[in-house]
Amino acid sequence: MITFLLILHGLAAVVLLGGLTHQAVAAIWPARKGAGKHANAAIANSFRAVNARLYTNTNVVLYVVTFVLGGLIYPAYRVAVRTWIENARLWSISGMFEIKEQFLAIGLGMLPLYWLLWRHQPDQPPDPQFASARAWVTGILCVVVWYSFLAGHIVNNVRGLFGQ
Amino acid sequence: MTTQMRAFTLFSALFAVVYVVCVEMNLALVTYHPRLGQWDIGTVPARTGPAMYWFGWLASAGLAAALATLLATPLLRRIGPPVWIGWAVPLASMLAFFWFLRSFFLR
Repeated sequence: MITFLLILHGLAAVVLLGGLTHQAVAAIWPARKGAGKHANAAIANSFRAVNARLYTNTNVVLYVVTFVLGGLIYPAYRVAVRTWIENARLWSISGMFEIKEQFLAIGLGMLPLYWLLWRHQPDQPPDPQFASARAWVTGILCVVVWYSFLAGHIVNNVRGLFGQ
Repeated sequence: MTTQMRAFTLFSALFAVVYVVCVEMNLALVTYHPRLGQWDIGTVPARTGPAMYWFGWLASAGLAAALATLLATPLLRRIGPPVWIGWAVPLASMLAFFWFLRSFFLR
């Protein structure tokens, strides 16, 4: 059951990564009209040109679902994996996970503001007054999720990577 | 800036600050003992196996930040924090954790 939940946790995180990365890039580095005549520039421009606000509700739900799934498998990590990591004296790996849990918790507290910053009437563009706040909040959440994804993978593979 | 925006900005900042305080002072609303599968109210020392306080820190920070935001709502109708507080304080709190957890990387 724990393995199933761990895989589900990882898959939800992958989808969340995609949604948040698209939205963060669109908010921080918006696409410009007429840019990207070269093939590579056109790919980058189309990556930035998504309708960023459409990702908001999905990202909020995915963040909460991934967070809850992480909370469900956390006790198993605490008993079996962290004990092994500490016995192996892999302190930096343990520290990476500690930082992940604190970052994600603070990110959870930012979700209501994130949701509100992106919410607006369907026929109106997002309020330009909050463009900077939108970019910062989305960018921070994006970095938190990327860091957590990578740290989680390293911890998940710790025996294969450092078990010699 | 609407009252709702001010309230959510305040909540975001308060949650981050209270969470840091809860972690550093170990103020957990609940404690979980994963080996026993048991919950305790409040911050309780480990019995058999480790004790988990993370769920309790989240609950403490969430409850305290929500209550403080609710109490501040009448005031927020007139004045409120600038929206950058809502991301700058959480960002600073995250950076503070690098300092608090530095011992993991300096051994």
